[in-house]
Amino acid sequence: MAAVTFDRITCQYPGAERPSVTNLDLDIADGEFLVLVGPSGCGKSTTLRMLAGLEDVTDGKILIGDRDVTDVPSRDRDIAMVFQNYALYPHMTVAENMGFALKIAKVNAEERRRRVEDAAKVLDLTQFLDRKPKALSGGQRQRVAMGRAIVRSPQVFLMDEPLSNLDAKLRVQTRTQIAALTRRLGVTTVYVTHDQVEAMTMGDRVAVLKDGVLMQVDTPRKLYDHPNSEFVAGFIGSPAMNLFRATVHHRQVKLGSLALDLSPAQQEALTTDEVTVGIRPEDMATAQEGTGLPIVAEVVEELGADAYVYGYLAPVTAANTVVRVDPSAQVAEADPDAKDDGASPVVVRTDGRTPLRVGSTVWVAPNTEHIHFFDASTGHRLPQ
Amino acid sequence: MSTSTTSTVKNDRPGSRSRLSAGQRFARRGWKHIAAVVACVFALFPLIYAFSASLSPTGSLLGSNDLFAEVTGANYQNLLTDPQNPFMTWFGNSMFISITTAVGAVLMGAAAAYAFSRFRFKFRGGGLMSLLIIQMFPQLLAFVAIFLLLFSISEVYPFLGLNSRLGLVAVYLGGALGANTFLMYGFFNTIPRDLDEAATLDGASHSQIYWTIILPLVTPILVVVGMLSFIASFSDFLLAQIVLQDPEKYTLAVGLYQFVSVQFGENWGVFTAGAILSAIPVVLLFLLLQRYIVSGLTGGAVKG
Repeated sequence: MAAVTFDRITCQYPGAERPSVTNLDLDIADGEFLVLVGPSGCGKSTTLRMLAGLEDVTDGKILIGDRDVTDVPSRDRDIAMVFQNYALYPHMTVAENMGFALKIAKVNAEERRRRVEDAAKVLDLTQFLDRKPKALSGGQRQRVAMGRAIVRSPQVFLMDEPLSNLDAKLRVQTRTQIAALTRRLGVTTVYVTHDQVEAMTMGDRVAVLKDGVLMQVDTPRKLYDHPNSEFVAGFIGSPAMNLFRATVHHRQVKLGSLALDLSPAQQEALTTDEVTVGIRPEDMATAQEGTGLPIVAEVVEELGADAYVYGYLAPVTAANTVVRVDPSAQVAEADPDAKDDGASPVVVRTDGRTPLRVGSTVWVAPNTEHIHFFDASTGHRLPQ
Repeated sequence: MSTSTTSTVKNDRPGSRSRLSAGQRFARRGWKHIAAVVACVFALFPLIYAFSASLSPTGSLLGSNDLFAEVTGANYQNLLTDPQNPFMTWFGNSMFISITTAVGAVLMGAAAAYAFSRFRFKFRGGGLMSLLIIQMFPQLLAFVAIFLLLFSISEVYPFLGLNSRLGLVAVYLGGALGANTFLMYGFFNTIPRDLDEAATLDGASHSQIYWTIILPLVTPILVVVGMLSFIASFSDFLLAQIVLQDPEKYTLAVGLYQFVSVQFGENWGVFTAGAILSAIPVVLLFLLLQRYIVSGLTGGAVKG
């Protein structure tokens, strides 16, 4: 068990135009569960593989504990990794798979068996120890991959999207199991995922990456309540935050019929005369006609307790357009055929018991305490 | 009453099936049987003919046109006891050369294929391409060169030069290396690299990964390559004839030829007896390794 430090590391593949990971600075505390999340191609897997020693570090240092492991070969780093496709050895039984690392390390057979059986008990694999991987279900294979990692009691666990090959229900179940297991073992864990729900539910802290650059690293709560950039705001949360672009006039932002005041500090930090206003779907409530924003409901998703209304702004407020933050898939999906007449999707959470009818127009007003302002040109959050 | 109705019902069913005429039924299924029988005869007749000739006392092929007219073991006895033509020695030579070639081809091919598949080095693409291009030229073109090369080598290392079994093995190994490497390279590529990486993180070195992870997973292709090399070297005549000059060192193919190469003195009876005996190892090998061959030849398409 040890802390992990990324000290301004950069990774550029030979022949690539720009680095996959640029100047990443990240401290992971001993025993912490850190999730690396971001859209595909953001460099999260590369970061993990650099820590594993499977990719060369172009620049910077990686430390595990106090030891500089930048140039240490993978097999001497004392780390274990769970792969996306599990990478179980097909010709070995479950027990042999789990005990392989110990065998390489020349642990004697008796000790090896004891440790494999202990791990199997933890993961509920005892009755499968003599089976080959191909005779196991997806969930069981995933547990064997986990078992292979915990048998060694390594310094650090690395997990590269270990749940993406499981079906939805099993994924939720395994998610909690993994989080509980690593906390109980107290091993530092670095977990890569593209699924922000996994990131939010599992991580002690979550690091959001975009194009090889670390955008923000924080606890899930803070990430949700105080995203420090437009990108993080749009990426974290499902459905995604509504982002409107609006012009500032005399420290005021016009949003539909509402005028939102910018604080002096916010006005000070602003570099252009445009801001991006972010409001989460649950921070908008239906209001009296004439208050807030008029929205024409296009799709209503009823989830039982809640209903999400996907709609577009009625032409009344055509001055406000919804900014599409492109890496956040949810926004793009909600609006496959973006209309260019100023109408873009807005998501509002409403009570599930009294759902809106499709095609009806409703006025919604934001909860002014939970409005996020971002600089439209830099994307940075404006201070309170 | 009730029984009679059921019986008519029963009679109806086969009646409805036999509504197809005999000709139609034949057109549907019967011709397949005939085709199969023809194929069997086509494949088996030469074998039976050779077997009959090997048991015939006449020693000429024409004399054995009546299959199994006379049956005697004389040919086999001659074959095994003739001191001028030591069949058992040839058999031993052939087995030694073929087994060594097979094992060597597998080890060398697998090592080369592993390197091409897993390592990235300069001239990797060029190396693969040149292997492919060199394979396009028939080995016949190289016979003179091989002869001269071995001739020169035998002045320095007689055990590897002309008229030595190891020399012949070396020629076989070199000749087949390109094709084998290519065959194996494709198969090695179907083993996911994640396995290598997982093993690396588990603390395994390159050689440990090679021997304990990769080789067990590519067994089918190893068997196929070993088998193809065995058969090719076991039945090769021309190269063996060029390299081996001493009757004590002949392989089966070269040795058996001696029985029929003497003009007016051809002894087809003994020749066929020898041919029958020398077919046994190959047949046994096929039977033994059959299941690997099928999975090996189609293995690339199947997910491991």
